Amino acid sequence: MSAERRPPRLLVKTVAVTFITVALLLAAVFVVVWISVRTQVRDAVTSNLASSQRMFAALETRRQRELRAEAATLAENPTLKAALDTYQAEVRTSGASERTELLETIDREVERLAARVESDAIVLVDTRQSTLASAGRLAGQWPRGRSVSLVAGKERDSFDGVAHMRNSVFRVVTVPLVIDDASIGTLYLATSLDQAYAQELAALAGTKIAILSENVLLASTLASAQARQFEAAVAARRPADGTILLDGESHAFRRLVDIGDTAIYALGSIDESSRAATRDAVRSLGVIAIGAIVLALGASFLLAQMVSEPIGRLSGSLASMIASHDVDSRLPPSGSSRELDTLTETFNALMASVVAAEAQTQAAYTGAIRALATALDARDPYTAGHSERVGVLSVAISRSLGLPPEEIEVIRLGALLHDIGKIGVPDDVLRKPGALTEAELDCIKTHPVLGARILRSVPFLAPHIPIVELHHERPDGQGYPNGLRGDDIPLAARIVHVADAYDAITSARAYRAARPSAEALKELWRCAGTGFHAEIVGALATALPGVVSEAAGDATGESVGA
Amino acid sequence: MRAVPATARALLLAIIFVSFAFAASSPSAQTPDAGAIGGHVTLTARVRGSRQASAIYPSRGVPRHDPPRIPEIRNVVVYLKDVAFRGTLPLTTGEMRQEHETFVPHVLAITKGSTVAFPNADPIFHNVFSLSHAATFDLGRYPQGQARTERFLQAGLVKLYCRIHSQMSADILVLDHPYFVTPADDGTFRIPNVPPGQYTVVGWHERIGERASPIRVEPGRTTGVELTLPVEDPQ
Repeated sequence: MSAERRPPRLLVKTVAVTFITVALLLAAVFVVVWISVRTQVRDAVTSNLASSQRMFAALETRRQRELRAEAATLAENPTLKAALDTYQAEVRTSGASERTELLETIDREVERLAARVESDAIVLVDTRQSTLASAGRLAGQWPRGRSVSLVAGKERDSFDGVAHMRNSVFRVVTVPLVIDDASIGTLYLATSLDQAYAQELAALAGTKIAILSENVLLASTLASAQARQFEAAVAARRPADGTILLDGESHAFRRLVDIGDTAIYALGSIDESSRAATRDAVRSLGVIAIGAIVLALGASFLLAQMVSEPIGRLSGSLASMIASHDVDSRLPPSGSSRELDTLTETFNALMASVVAAEAQTQAAYTGAIRALATALDARDPYTAGHSERVGVLSVAISRSLGLPPEEIEVIRLGALLHDIGKIGVPDDVLRKPGALTEAELDCIKTHPVLGARILRSVPFLAPHIPIVELHHERPDGQGYPNGLRGDDIPLAARIVHVADAYDAITSARAYRAARPSAEALKELWRCAGTGFHAEIVGALATALPGVVSEAAGDATGESVGA
Repeated sequence: MRAVPATARALLLAIIFVSFAFAASSPSAQTPDAGAIGGHVTLTARVRGSRQASAIYPSRGVPRHDPPRIPEIRNVVVYLKDVAFRGTLPLTTGEMRQEHETFVPHVLAITKGSTVAFPNADPIFHNVFSLSHAATFDLGRYPQGQARTERFLQAGLVKLYCRIHSQMSADILVLDHPYFVTPADDGTFRIPNVPPGQYTVVGWHERIGERASPIRVEPGRTTGVELTLPVEDPQ
C-alpha cells in the first residue's frame, strides 16, 4: 500500500510518446529500405554476373573458333597430307607392310604442328577413327591405333567435341584434312578438361569455373563443399543458366559449353559481389537513421517542453499564490496556447467568484456581529450607539496617526466589537445605578477576555482579538485583564482604549450628565502617561474637530476609569 | 584419251612381234591365237567423303574455279594383276596438266620406264612431289607455261601432290605390263592381245583400291567380264 507511485512527468511522457513513435517509424522505414536496397543490389549484381557470363560464353565460343581457324591452317600442311594420303593409299592398294618412313614423316609433321599450337595434344586420326599420330604434352594418352569416339556438339557443322580417353576427358577441336574434296583424316586439337584448364578459364573469365562430364565433376575452382553441392544439383540435368545456393552462398551460373555429356559452367557468387555494395548502402542508411533519431529526440524534447513549460509556469504561479494567501491577484495569460489561456481565464474567474463569495460571507458575519454589538449597546439606554461612536473615533485617531488603510479597517471592526464580551455581564450589574461592589466590578472586568473568547470561534476575526482583549490595559500597568505596560500594549488597543474613554466621558449616565468634549479632553490629558497613552490623546485632540458634532449631544457622564 | 595411243602402240608392237617371232611361247609373245578381254565397269555406291568445308571458316587458298567435271569412270583403271611380262615394254610419254588447281587427268596409267610431263596451265605457280615408294621426287615450283618431266622406273602406285595447293592430288599407276585400260565413258573397256590363260582382272579406284575378278582368256576370243566398283559417279 505504501508504494503509491506518482504519475510520470508530462515532459517524460511527451518525449516518450513522440520519440517512440518516431523511432518505430524510422525502424520500419529502415527495414523496408534495407530490404529494397538489398534486393536491388542483388538484382543488379545478378544481371551483371549474367551479362558478363554471357559475354564470356560468346568470347569462349569465339576463342574456340579462332583455335579452329588456327587448326585449319595447320591442316593445310601439304607434307602431312601427302604423307597421310600416300600411306593410306599404299596400305589400301597393296596391303603393303608398314611404310615406316611415311609414318615417321607423319610423326615429324605432327610434332612440328604441336610446337606451333597451345594444345595439350595434337592428334591425327584416320578415316577409320583410329589415332595415327599424336604429339604434345598429353600425347601419351593418345597411343597409335587407339580407336577414338568423339561426342560432338549439338550444332550442325560443329567442330567442338569431347573425347573420353583412358585417364582424362579432352575437349577437342576437329579439323578435317581434305584432298580433292575428300576427307583423308582429321586433326584433333585436344585440351584436357582438368584443373589447369578450369583455372585458365577462371582467370580469363574472372569467375569460378566448374567442368562436368558424365554426371561427374571433373574439375572446378570452387571450394570443395560448394563443388560437391554444385555437382549434386546440376550434373544430372545440366541447365543452361540460373541461380543456386552453394554452401549458404547464392551463385549465378551459366553454361559456357555444352557438348554431349560434358558441360563447362561459369559461376559467380552473388553474395560476395553484393556484400560490399549492400554494406555501403546500409552504412549510409545507418548514418541517416542515427541522425534522424537524434533529431527526433531533440524535436520531441522541444515539443514536450513547449507543452509542459507553460503548464509548469501556471502551476508555479498558483503555488506561490497559495503560499502568499494572495487570493486577489490574477494569473497572467501564458500566451503559449489558446487552451491554456482559456484555462487561466476560467481559473481567474473562479478565483474572483470565490473572493466575492468570501467577502459576502465576511460582510454577513460582520453585519451579524455588528448587529449583536448594537443590540448589546441597546440593553442600556445610556450606552446606546456607543460601539458605533467608538468605531468612528478610533478610525479618526488612526487616520490622524497616519496608519495604513488595512490597519484602520482592522481597528474599525475591532472598535465596533470591543465590548462584545459584555454579553456575559448580567443586566443588573451593567445597569446598576450607583457604586458597584467588589464582586460586581470583577464581573465587569471579565468582558475583554470573554469577548476575545467569542471572537476566537470565528477564524477571520482573529486580527481583532488583541483590540477586544486589551482595550482596558493602561500604560502604567494598572489596567486589566493582563496588566500590560506601555509599549507592550498594541497600538490598536491603545487607540480603542482612548476612544472608549472619551465616549464614556461625553455620554450621559444614569447617575450623571454628559460632559462636554473639552472637559473630556482635559480629563484625558490629566491621565495621559498613566491611564492613557499621551500620543493617542494628542491624536484624538487633533482628530476631534472632524467628529465633534457626533459627540456633542450629551453633557453628563463620569469617567468610567479604566 | 591417253590409253588409246598406248593401246595403239601396244598393238603396233604386237604386230612387229608377230611378224618377227612365232616361236615365243611366253605370254608376251604375241601369237595370232591371243584372246582379248572385254567388259563393263559399273560404279555404284558412294564412298567418297562428303565435302568437309566449314560453314564458319571457308577453306583457304585460291578461289576454286570449278573445273569441267570429268566423269568418275575416267579415274578407274582396269588391268591384269600379277602378270609376268617378259618382253620389251612399250614406252610412252604421258602428260598430266595442272589446270584449275587440279591435275588433269586425275589418274594416269603408264608402263614402267615411261615419262610423264607436267605442264602448268594455271596462272599461278605449281609444284609436283611424291612420297610414294614407287617414286619419291619433288619437281620444284614453276610458273605457267613451264613443264617438268619425270620418268617412272619402278612399278607401283605413285601419289602426286602439290606443295603449294595441298588439296591437289593425282595418281599414276606404273605397270610392268601393257594389259591395262581406262574404260570409256559408258564403262565399256577392251584389253586386246592377251595370251590365253588364267588371270585376275582388276578394277582399280584410288578410294577403294582393287576389285578383282578371275578370268580365263581363250585363244582368238574375247572374254567378257563385269566389274562393279562401289564408287559413286557424282554425275
